[in-house]
Amino acid sequence: MPVAVTHVDRKTRTATVALRGDLVIPTAQATYGQLRGLARRRDVRGVIVDFAGAGRVDSSGVAVVALVQRMMARTGKRLELVGLDEHHRAALELVALAGPTTSEPDDVVVPGFVEGIGASVIAYVHAGRELVALVVDISRQAWQVATRRKALPKGALVEQMARMGSDAVPIVALLGALLGTTLAFQGVVLLHRFGAGQFVADMIGLSMVREFGPMMTAIILTGRTGAAIAAELGTMRVGSEIDALATMGVSPTRFLLLPRLGALTVALPVLSLFAMFVGIAGGMVIAAVVIHVPASVFWDRIVARVTLMDFFHGVGKSVVFAWIIGLTASHLGMRTTADATSVGSATTRTVVVSVFFIILVDAVIATLASLGGT
Amino acid sequence: MTDVVVTCAGVAVGYGERPVLADIDLEIHRGEIVTLLGGSGCGKTTLLRAITGLLRPLAGTVTLLGEDIYALSDDDRRALLHRTGMAFQQDALFSAMSIVDNVALPLREVTRLPESVIAEMARIKLALVGLSGLEHRLPASLSGGQRKRAALARASILDPEIIFCDEPSAGLDPVVAAELDDTLRRFRDVLGVTVVVVTHELASIRAIADRAIMFGDGRVLAVGTVAELERSSDEGVYGFFHARAS
Repeated sequence: MPVAVTHVDRKTRTATVALRGDLVIPTAQATYGQLRGLARRRDVRGVIVDFAGAGRVDSSGVAVVALVQRMMARTGKRLELVGLDEHHRAALELVALAGPTTSEPDDVVVPGFVEGIGASVIAYVHAGRELVALVVDISRQAWQVATRRKALPKGALVEQMARMGSDAVPIVALLGALLGTTLAFQGVVLLHRFGAGQFVADMIGLSMVREFGPMMTAIILTGRTGAAIAAELGTMRVGSEIDALATMGVSPTRFLLLPRLGALTVALPVLSLFAMFVGIAGGMVIAAVVIHVPASVFWDRIVARVTLMDFFHGVGKSVVFAWIIGLTASHLGMRTTADATSVGSATTRTVVVSVFFIILVDAVIATLASLGGT
Repeated sequence: MTDVVVTCAGVAVGYGERPVLADIDLEIHRGEIVTLLGGSGCGKTTLLRAITGLLRPLAGTVTLLGEDIYALSDDDRRALLHRTGMAFQQDALFSAMSIVDNVALPLREVTRLPESVIAEMARIKLALVGLSGLEHRLPASLSGGQRKRAALARASILDPEIIFCDEPSAGLDPVVAAELDDTLRRFRDVLGVTVVVVTHELASIRAIADRAIMFGDGRVLAVGTVAELERSSDEGVYGFFHARAS
């Protein structure tokens, strides 16, 4: 710490500070405190800082001098620097270079409550328009691919299906089996009490096929695949890769989105079917072990109770869920702006928005199916 | 002063097992501006990463400010790196932070200075690189040259003894590149900083270098002043200066 020897001349009301040692980052705070304290004293009209004994002065020292100088100038006091050597002068020239005032942030107009609501509505409308435009573009590109006027990038669909589908098999199998066993435990405890233990098969079969298989798989793929799509697209947007495609005259929708949406449309229903069977198998094991329902009886109940229509219901929902995940991830990923946080934001929002709409749509479909008697 | 601030002794650098540069012996002295030259892919940026503690050399010793940087503990290495600054080729500014916050970040993380002193130091450094008035802008709203200058301001904010710059003028027009060269010279002249610049821009090399070290064929081809290198009889060195100058 530089030793600041202070002497106040009562006659001239001038304080003299003799600096000792380096005025650098480790010592700047103490020096700033001392000088500021002097500058605030009522009995001091001016401060003379003597650099004769000072060593190295870095930009923290320069900043301290500049701040104290400005503070004193505001109250009509003066700061005088004496004993400066060549090095000190060179360093203190930075103050002149920096100029007299600090620039302020650009004027930020804080919106009122109503304006805030209006801005949110406008933002949602804008986002909605972009989503509609994206859906139209996807449909158009998909039609061109379907009619063989355009082609998907070679191997992209298979690669995406492998990443989204086969790579997700272990986690879907594990969670499907755990869900089936959990359902079985719940059902067995309740139904066995009424002597209807074997009907646990009906419960597990219908639950897994119509609800839990598609829903659980969709939520797994939201976290696993939807987030990955949004992060990939967002990173590509930040790195100007999407702009590069556009300037090459290549549709980013066809090149990037269609393979992902196509793969998701196939992978999610297939994984859902897989989850349904694994879940039923898990339930079958629990029913056999806990209440000794033979596997053949359990399977007969499943065949008798779960119809082909139930499978169509579950698989059909999976396709809808796949589109929800794919469209949400594509829309938010493509809307990423040029900063790192927006990629994280797009990823998080993809998961939250997808899960919300998956549950909402599931509830709507369940209600409609109930009203329709299916 | 002529004390040595960077020493490479028998250094080999590369990715994986295969060295890009091998048997590198060099010294950089306090207060000089040294340019590391060479064609694209010759390993100059890789060597810079090794000198700044980002890439462990495959062989040899890197001594930075008197310390064998790879023999230090993580804490000691971080403390040593506080005495250096690095401006990356891709500026590496944090996109979600304003320019002044980017520049002030090392001070806020490393020191306990009052916020008013930190703000003033950042303002001074931004003025030094010619960015006064742009303090509160986001990096995305600045031009490439302005972002590079902001990165330089950040690299210098802790008043380092050495500033390393990777391709500071790459992709800039000649006027902006010359301004950046002026800034680097000003860092040396005003703050007494040693400046190590990786570049292959001849105009910059001629404008700023006290000394140049040229790499090629996986080794040091030549060391000396720019005038000496331009007169070199080595085919690679001569070709670098004259083929491009013509």
